Amino acid sequence: MDVALKKALIEDCAKVIAEHADELTSLDRAIGDGDHGLNMKRGFESLLPDAGSLASRPLPDMLKAIGTQLVMKVGGASGPLYGTLFLSLAKEISGSPNSENARTAFASAIEAVKARGKSEVGQKTMLDVLAPVLAAWDHRAGIASHLSETARQAAEATIPMKAIRGRASFLGDRSIGHMDPGARSSSLLIATIAKHFGA
Amino acid sequence: MANVGIVIVSHSEKVAEGAADMVRQMVGDAVPLAYTGGNSEGGLGTDVARIMDAIDRAWSEAGVAVLVDLGGAETNTEMAIEMIDETKQQRIVICNAPIVEGAVIAATEASGGSPLDIVKQTAEELSPQ
Amino acid sequence: MNAPPLSKTSPVTGSALLTNAVGLHARPSVKLTQLAKTFSSVISVATDAAGPWIDAKSPVKIMRVKASKGTTIYFEASGDDATLAIAALIDLVERRFDESDGDDHG
Repeated sequence: MDVALKKALIEDCAKVIAEHADELTSLDRAIGDGDHGLNMKRGFESLLPDAGSLASRPLPDMLKAIGTQLVMKVGGASGPLYGTLFLSLAKEISGSPNSENARTAFASAIEAVKARGKSEVGQKTMLDVLAPVLAAWDHRAGIASHLSETARQAAEATIPMKAIRGRASFLGDRSIGHMDPGARSSSLLIATIAKHFGA
Repeated sequence: MANVGIVIVSHSEKVAEGAADMVRQMVGDAVPLAYTGGNSEGGLGTDVARIMDAIDRAWSEAGVAVLVDLGGAETNTEMAIEMIDETKQQRIVICNAPIVEGAVIAATEASGGSPLDIVKQTAEELSPQ
Repeated sequence: MNAPPLSKTSPVTGSALLTNAVGLHARPSVKLTQLAKTFSSVISVATDAAGPWIDAKSPVKIMRVKASKGTTIYFEASGDDATLAIAALIDLVERRFDESDGDDHG
């Protein structure tokens, strides 16, 4: 994969998270401990000084380094979950993936996130964005524009859900009516990445 | 062979420290022991880097048994174990046991020179089957 | 060791009265199992000469005994170092588990 593209992906992901940090924090304040925006911003911005050298590495190495960095720098509950997503992608993806390889890697990364969080789809988590995106992924057409829209709608769809994993689950029915911050950050990242692949 | 090490991982540094105090006072100094609690900002939570560091401090060739409290502590401990040197991973276990009682019981078992699987098994006798 | 061979069919037994303030609570339980583990013999504990007998090397089981002050603790050991083990365990109880008595609830 092209070095310039990889660098742009890292920078754009950090940028979109930074731009929406306040929004993520206020979502998290409603149902969590209010640190999701700050944690994600700190974690993704910590990639920026190394963006050039990260991008110069083969894609699997780059993803592995990003995953490790996110585990350490995001912290909280999200660090290990996003870290697991990237570390697992790194294991399955090739240096220059086609859409089919990327989809396979994404599918196994979702399974790894499920295992890490001991959670399933429908429990008001980032999985409620990741799984619909995977389902909508038609690898014959590449990463199509509708993945951004799928992700956005899937994040919205977490609003009426009741949380049964993580700190939000302590609220029970009171978690209903708020978008899950992890679902929102996932949808932002997916939209940002999809934009670079013909969306 | 060295005794199995014990690591205590709580969301609260005070809980982790208190549990470690109980282990030291009740069981003595025969087991390597380390604890960590709270996130990197000093609030409630757990932190993968800190857990890795605690496992390192309590490291024993006989292995390390980790006691955790609420969900995130377990998730982050699993993550920490996966990020530790692969040659060590097989010798680190999370005990499915209450954190304070489990730490004391696991350390008691470890202080007698029991291997890692027995230390884990003894601590887990505390949990309802 | 140089101990005379013992018949496996005749375990060594002994008993001691709990005189420390808290009885066989958490901390004394830990000490008892730690000491028991230093012997190779199979060692059991009971609060009645008729049993039930509990594995003296199991900290979880010993802690559940919860015998209070004034209870007689019975020991039974089988193995090469059984005599030594019983003597050491009785000594531990009679030393009040080296606890400083008082309002200690440990």
